[in-house]
Amino acid sequence: MFQWAWKSLAKQPGSLTASALGIAFAFILVIFFDAVWQGESEQVVAYPENIKPDVWVMQSGVSNMHMAMSFVWDWKADKIASMPGVKQVTPILYLNNVIVAGDTKMFAFIVGLLPDAQRAGPWSMSAGRQLENPGEVIIPAVLSELTGTGMGDQLRITDKNFTVVGLSSGTYSSANTVLFVPFKDLEDILSSSGTYSYLLVDADDGIDAQTLATQISNEVEKVNALTHDDFIKNDFALASQMGMEIIVMMTVICSVLAALIVAFTAYSLVMRKRQEIAIIKALGVNNSLIFYAAMLQTGLVTLYGFVIAVVFALFVIPYVPLLVPQLTLIVSMDSLLQLGVIALVVAISGALLPTHLVLRLDPATAFQV
Amino acid sequence: MIKLALRQVQLDPLRILLTAFALGSVIAVILVIKGFEEGQYYQLERIVLNRNADLIATQSGVTNFIAVRSSIPQLSRAEVESVDGVINAHPITAVPVIYTKNEVRTPVYVLVYDLKGGPSSIVNGHAIEQGKDIVIDVSLAKKYNIQLGDSFYVTDFEFKVSGFTEEAAFMMPFAFINYDGMLDLFIESEIAPDLSTFPLLSYMLIELEPTANRDWVAQQIEAAVASVDVVTPAQLAGNDVNMGKVFYGPIIGLLVSVAYIIGMLVVGLVMYSDVRSRLRNFAVMKALGFPFAWLVIAVFVQALLLLIVSIPFGVLLASGLAWFIETAAPVYLIRIFEPTIFLQSLLASSGFALIGALIPLRVISRSDPMIVFEST
Repeated sequence: MFQWAWKSLAKQPGSLTASALGIAFAFILVIFFDAVWQGESEQVVAYPENIKPDVWVMQSGVSNMHMAMSFVWDWKADKIASMPGVKQVTPILYLNNVIVAGDTKMFAFIVGLLPDAQRAGPWSMSAGRQLENPGEVIIPAVLSELTGTGMGDQLRITDKNFTVVGLSSGTYSSANTVLFVPFKDLEDILSSSGTYSYLLVDADDGIDAQTLATQISNEVEKVNALTHDDFIKNDFALASQMGMEIIVMMTVICSVLAALIVAFTAYSLVMRKRQEIAIIKALGVNNSLIFYAAMLQTGLVTLYGFVIAVVFALFVIPYVPLLVPQLTLIVSMDSLLQLGVIALVVAISGALLPTHLVLRLDPATAFQV
Repeated sequence: MIKLALRQVQLDPLRILLTAFALGSVIAVILVIKGFEEGQYYQLERIVLNRNADLIATQSGVTNFIAVRSSIPQLSRAEVESVDGVINAHPITAVPVIYTKNEVRTPVYVLVYDLKGGPSSIVNGHAIEQGKDIVIDVSLAKKYNIQLGDSFYVTDFEFKVSGFTEEAAFMMPFAFINYDGMLDLFIESEIAPDLSTFPLLSYMLIELEPTANRDWVAQQIEAAVASVDVVTPAQLAGNDVNMGKVFYGPIIGLLVSVAYIIGMLVVGLVMYSDVRSRLRNFAVMKALGFPFAWLVIAVFVQALLLLIVSIPFGVLLASGLAWFIETAAPVYLIRIFEPTIFLQSLLASSGFALIGALIPLRVISRSDPMIVFEST
């Protein structure tokens, strides 16, 4: 019986492949949704994740970086720097704003760096150099590619023009493009003086980050000090909560779509082979065996589609950003495993209609002309 | 030919139902994605237009309302109001905050207003009457189960929710407080010592005399007050929409492209299965001398009929999904019935579906009339 199930599928390679492709693309859409969401969420924490101080210090009431606003007096940085167990304190200024690069206006995060604060700057450069003079900016290489704003070109932040002196890597995404400018220039844009946004605190060897964070929170008034891990967790949670509802809904509807394609394929197959099935029933093969055979068919079609989707996810999606550099796509093993579970549900739900038809099929159909 | 295609479609209603569901789901996916994109642009536009200004003054060099920091010197308000044709320059301050409750974080755009620029409508409760009142977007209320009169903490300062509004943009809910509230927030809360760099005046909503020439007044203000740029609300809204397009365009474009491919494959699969099961019929027609072109048109007409059945289902499903998303997360607006987007999506879906109908044509072209005489 199982051999029959397999053979009747294999005899229709065109239908099988078309169905599998339909299912695969429904799964691929689910993977794309998840990959975009994962990619953007990961990219949101790219800057803090790569800068990686032991402790982040910010204004009280603030506990993350993405879309946040924080200001801390400069004397607090000095006070923290003098605390035992603190190796160094690197202050940064930080601003969310719209930038103008070429003809493109886009949302970006701008980090203001003090002259001796290279540890808070870009962690990977693809061209150019670090900031040395006022009015300079380091932009993501992808932004340069997209807008045509290259080395030596001008870029505008608010009403101030900057000259591009370096191109950084790993600093671009739709939701989180990071630019670096001199501290003083960003201070001018913010009309601020004597304040920082975040303090990056490196601890001495052997000092526990959690203990140091607690100590800073206790000894420096009106600041919030978090370990790097806690800070990243907060930022990632904020990013991943945004758009979650859309992702869930789209996953559901694409899964339903895949189930419908499975059901359609299995139904077409059953309808085409109903005389054969009737003969099998007339020969005394029991219903449960026929039921499992029909289930096997839907399982195989779904598995075929799932495998195509996984191969696509692993070998094609990583190259999509070459065509659409604005996107950061991350396919995680977790999401593929989740998709596997979805595929199982799809296979079972897609089998409901055809198995129902098979079980109700009258053996007398075999003798109809 | 239409009759033949219609008969084929009627032959197996269950099969047609499955097809309509599958194709309808694809159409629904496309409509929801495009509706989501359109909803984002609509919200970006409305959030500026709802402020009801004749002109808007921004910090010099700032050309957007959302996702920017605009800081105008407070003295410039009097300078703007002294320009001929200006009745009033109503202050607006934008304070982006991250609202946190039970470890769930949401970026919220708090707009501080005086007499103009407050919530465009109150769907429940009342407008701000005292400094500690706050009006929040319904999505925040839903997400955090906030009731009227509940506390709402902004950087450790306690506000009381007096009303709910429906204003969100860029996936961010908005909240509204007045200047008494802002001063209390700055002075009484933890941030007071570090508030020197907080923008106390972000934008000015300029109210003009009825007879004033808008362009002329805008030029006069820019000439008189160097610290500001003056734009019309439509220009500012347009800038935000364009920024939104740069942000959403590539992502939505990619997802919609994948959805179109699925639609193409679904139709291809349906037509392929159908042609395979009726290969003998096609062979008979060929034997009777029907030209190949005629058979091709028959397949296309059938695909078209399938689409006609599927589109209402797709639209219905998309409407249900949109309603569900908007109910579950009111921060999103899914505008599937925006005429251009709606027609564009349906036409593109139909186009891709008809391309899918090409898939089985090779089978027909290769079908041998002799198979009619083969045993089944």
